[in-house]
Amino acid sequence: MRALLVPVGDDTYAVPVAAAREVVSAPRPTPVPTAPRCVRGLLNVRGEIVPLLDLGALLGAVPTPSCAYAVVVDSAAGRSALAATALPEVSELEDVVAAPELHGALAVHRSGARLVTFLDLDSVLDPARIAGA
Amino acid sequence: MDPAERPFGHDAEFRGLFAEEAQGRLDGLAESLLGLEGTAGRVETVTALLREAHTLKGGSAMVGLPRVTRLAHLLEDLLEPYRDGRAGISADLVDEALAAVDGLRAVIDAAGREQDHEAEASALEERLLRAAARAPAAGQAPAAPPEAARVEVPPPPVAPTPRSEASTVAVPVARLDELVRLVTESSSALLRTGHLLAEATGKPPSTLTEFRDLARTLGQLQELTMRTRMVPVSTIAHPLHRAVRDLARSLGREVAWEVSGDDTEIDRHVLDRLADPLLHLVRNAVDHGIEGPDERAAAGKPRHGTVRLRAMRLGSEVILVIGDDGRGIDVDAVRTATDAGDEDDDETALAGIFRSGVSTAREVTDVSGRGVGLDVVRAQLEAIRGRVEVHNDPGRGCEFRLSVPITLAVVPCLVVRCGPRRYAVPAQAVLTAVSAGDPATLHAGGRPMVMSGGRALPVTDLDAILGSGEGGGQGPALVLSVLTRTHAVRVDALEGHRDVVLKSLGGLLPRLDVIAGATIEADGSVLVVLEPGALIERARRTHRPAAVTAPIPATAVPQGAPSPPRSRRSVLVVDDALTVRELQRSILERAGYEVRTAADGLEALSRLAERPVDLVLTDVEMPRMDGFALTEAIRAHQVLRNTAVLVLSSRSGDDDRRRGLEAGADGYIVKSAFDQATLLDAVDRLLGGRG
Repeated sequence: MRALLVPVGDDTYAVPVAAAREVVSAPRPTPVPTAPRCVRGLLNVRGEIVPLLDLGALLGAVPTPSCAYAVVVDSAAGRSALAATALPEVSELEDVVAAPELHGALAVHRSGARLVTFLDLDSVLDPARIAGA
Repeated sequence: MDPAERPFGHDAEFRGLFAEEAQGRLDGLAESLLGLEGTAGRVETVTALLREAHTLKGGSAMVGLPRVTRLAHLLEDLLEPYRDGRAGISADLVDEALAAVDGLRAVIDAAGREQDHEAEASALEERLLRAAARAPAAGQAPAAPPEAARVEVPPPPVAPTPRSEASTVAVPVARLDELVRLVTESSSALLRTGHLLAEATGKPPSTLTEFRDLARTLGQLQELTMRTRMVPVSTIAHPLHRAVRDLARSLGREVAWEVSGDDTEIDRHVLDRLADPLLHLVRNAVDHGIEGPDERAAAGKPRHGTVRLRAMRLGSEVILVIGDDGRGIDVDAVRTATDAGDEDDDETALAGIFRSGVSTAREVTDVSGRGVGLDVVRAQLEAIRGRVEVHNDPGRGCEFRLSVPITLAVVPCLVVRCGPRRYAVPAQAVLTAVSAGDPATLHAGGRPMVMSGGRALPVTDLDAILGSGEGGGQGPALVLSVLTRTHAVRVDALEGHRDVVLKSLGGLLPRLDVIAGATIEADGSVLVVLEPGALIERARRTHRPAAVTAPIPATAVPQGAPSPPRSRRSVLVVDDALTVRELQRSILERAGYEVRTAADGLEALSRLAERPVDLVLTDVEMPRMDGFALTEAIRAHQVLRNTAVLVLSSRSGDDDRRRGLEAGADGYIVKSAFDQATLLDAVDRLLGGRG
């Protein structure tokens, strides 16, 4: 199965290729006062205002240190952008090598030399979850 | 389910379209029915009604909605005996037909969203059959039995026929919004192109004729696009007429309805949000303003009262006036009830009716008949950046004047800087700016103050309110005023005025009270628009000195947020079913909560106005005001907004859950999963421990 890999610090997450809209390089988010910690800010994506989210904070793992790229994705609750620390790329997911520990992760796959956590976007990008992260 | 209901996959799309078109036809039907109560043109009106019902029948058969087809057919049966104009039309008949139109509206709406509508349809069908059976035996055949209706294939309309003008087409609002977005994006792109051109040619782009032409055309396009979202006020006038008529009839009053200026255009989003407040005001006018016929005659007035709606445009605002020629408001009673001092003039005292005067609301109602729910009207208007004023003429009537922006899409704003960040603040709430050069910070009662227009006002730094910790707070202070509250907010610099195209932050982020939305600047960056009302609220909380007792008016209510420990936590149970209400009451009371109950959203609001509670547990579907609307009203309320809200629904759909959370609910339980433990667990969690 092919997926878009989103590098976040030492971790790599994967999202379905069909959910990804575009990749924005060097995004400059406008911070949102009083928003939950996982909201890095707002981006203008072709005239639409889209929240830039920190997958690390959202999954309860390590917060994303910087944001070199933003991956614009569609999920059940709407459009958002995910902060990535290195260039996202499309790659083949190989066998499952571990059960996921994070809520919202489907499985941990091998992909070349990397371990990749495949995400259920509708679960990770749930408004109630964002409100609490 | 009847297999005929889902013959083709693509029917869903057509059903949506049919539903949209049908709503327009039903509006027309309701309007004609109201006209039927007059005297002239009965035959033509009945014929027109029959035609509309017939078209509905045809359309619904085409998109595979047999229940709707049958109901439209029954409506035709009901009206058929009156076609020749010989049988007299009774108010009862109009009642039944109006009920049928309302029912059809609900059924079609459900069908259009692919929801189950069997129960409503069956109930309405029975009602129509009963009504038709009571119809006069004016030579016409009795109502056709349902079986006959089922086999009849109504002739489909030859072509989609738009309602009155052939030059109108119905366009989904989402498509218009998309159009606005694209045009706005084009304008931003044009500005960026201008910068590039200037760099490349060394000349300002405005010296190029082609660039100027493109800029002008785009400007016109933008203005036109904005105007596509405008609808005339008349679209809301008919439901109001209906409300006046129904209420007057049930109260035995004679009330005429007058409308002027209803061709005034206003943004559809604004008009939608005005529906509730206007309905509230006309109902108040009929219920409390207009006297009974005998009382009127004794006072030398015509026996029938008049309720008026006037609309007019004033600059970038629309003024809507609801007036009546009833008894007016007893100002002295309001003065007594709201503890207004005798030194207050009538106008100031009268303004008290809009206060969420919690403990006094009941008395105002009893004495003057006004006051209940007017704070809700005010809150609803405030939510669309509008205002409401009252003009009173005791004995001769009163008038409520509502001013609202023509559109919510464009907001005149002040742009301010706070540290490295820039924010927009809606200009409507900014009274004035106090410059940095004024005497350094003053203090009173342990908090910093500034002088503005001879008054000392509390001042708070914007970065302290927002918790960003980035501003120096050395610049001017904006004096913000939202209804009765005024507070100064210090920023680093003022950067100027801007007409801002307001956009929402999308469905993923939680509701943030200090943020009204955001906009895209000419250079493509995002600018956050702040919400003045919430800024004031937060400023008051941020800076409250612990040692000093803030002067809290006697009518004020303890804030819900960090409330002092109480002996018992209180819960308001809202459900229209008595059994459910009592079941929940017994569970919660046994767990030690103090429980009060209400049968629908409106009753809940008046209960809360008497005395707030720690948590509201509400059903979704209820008459008059449903659970979502109740949640929204609580969140929009100055005092009640921090009350915990738990929604209990019979539907488990994700849409409902999302709607509940969007409305501002803190939790959502599905009735099918409901048991004592789940309920107590949810309530305990929201209240942070058992009461």
